[in-house]
Amino acid sequence: MYMKGLAGNAKDGLYFDDLSFAFTAAHELKAPLALIRQLALSLEDGTGDANDKERMLRQITLTAERSLRLTENLTRSARLDDSLFTLEPLNPQQLLEEVAHEFTPLYKAKDREIRVSSRFRPMLVVANRDLLHRILANFTDNALHYSGDTMPVELYAGKRESGARVRVGVRDYGPAVPSKLWKNLEANLGKTRQALHMRPQSSGLGLFVAGRFADAMNGTIGAVRHRDGATFYVDMDASRQMTLL
Amino acid sequence: MKQPYVLIVEDDDWLAEQYARTLEAAGIQASAVGHALAAMDVIDTKKPDALVLDVLLPGPNIFTLLHEIRSHSDLAAIPVILCTNSADKFVGEDLAAYGIKTVLSKTTMHPGDMVAAIKKVLP
Repeated sequence: MYMKGLAGNAKDGLYFDDLSFAFTAAHELKAPLALIRQLALSLEDGTGDANDKERMLRQITLTAERSLRLTENLTRSARLDDSLFTLEPLNPQQLLEEVAHEFTPLYKAKDREIRVSSRFRPMLVVANRDLLHRILANFTDNALHYSGDTMPVELYAGKRESGARVRVGVRDYGPAVPSKLWKNLEANLGKTRQALHMRPQSSGLGLFVAGRFADAMNGTIGAVRHRDGATFYVDMDASRQMTLL
Repeated sequence: MKQPYVLIVEDDDWLAEQYARTLEAAGIQASAVGHALAAMDVIDTKKPDALVLDVLLPGPNIFTLLHEIRSHSDLAAIPVILCTNSADKFVGEDLAAYGIKTVLSKTTMHPGDMVAAIKKVLP
């Protein structure tokens, strides 16, 4: 199995071959599994009071769910070329609400807040519901790790390029990304049609998978650096459904 | 007798919380920060008796932090326990120069191993 990178080919951007993909996937799963194991061992040892135990059990559940999301994305990504999927007009606002609702327990458990920027008239995008949901879930999970605890993570949708494209993104407020890392990103952006950004400590696997999902729907993922955080987005074709009426 | 104090530098807040809970259950006071810059502030003000450090952190990595600590005579002797998912990468490395006393693997250690490692290096 050869898996193309976000940039579309190995020469221009980051890519994973079979071996590095397997290695990176294993490494990504190591951290949550190690956490689950530590919590389970502590429960076995009887560490903590009743509140601690309840909290540890909740953390085990949420960490396991997070890991399962990654494994499901990897499986879906590996079978992307073989599968048929439907592209349909979707309301991104509704999808963002679903993602926010899904992540609220995890955010709450981490004392973080998530919200959807409301729009009066949301534009429809042409996308596969499952794949776009997975992309946004990936960005939302990523934002949780890097956002500070004082500002909520914002999910939003907005028009691009005279209405032909719609940008659906996740904005976090956290430490600024070091400029050296961002220069690497900009160098990639200059050469490639897909945008890739990796944070410190990130293997980039989640974004790699998100990029594959976006590519399959004629979408483009990218990132914008802010003084106080970053936005990860996917640009999708806007539905022309309304113009046909 | 003064209760020993350990600073945990770990960007996974639930894992940091777990370490702190384990250490406190063993009578060791502990607090946690998520990156090296915050760690330096706490080390400066609270002078921990030992450090538990993850290796991969957002921003400056732990070796930058350790260089910084070693450059201050009043902090240079603080013992360090590395707690990492990549413990195999440090086999055979000369870690003593950084004040690293023990390397624990997050994937194989028992919570009690951290307590034992800390107690071994406390004055």
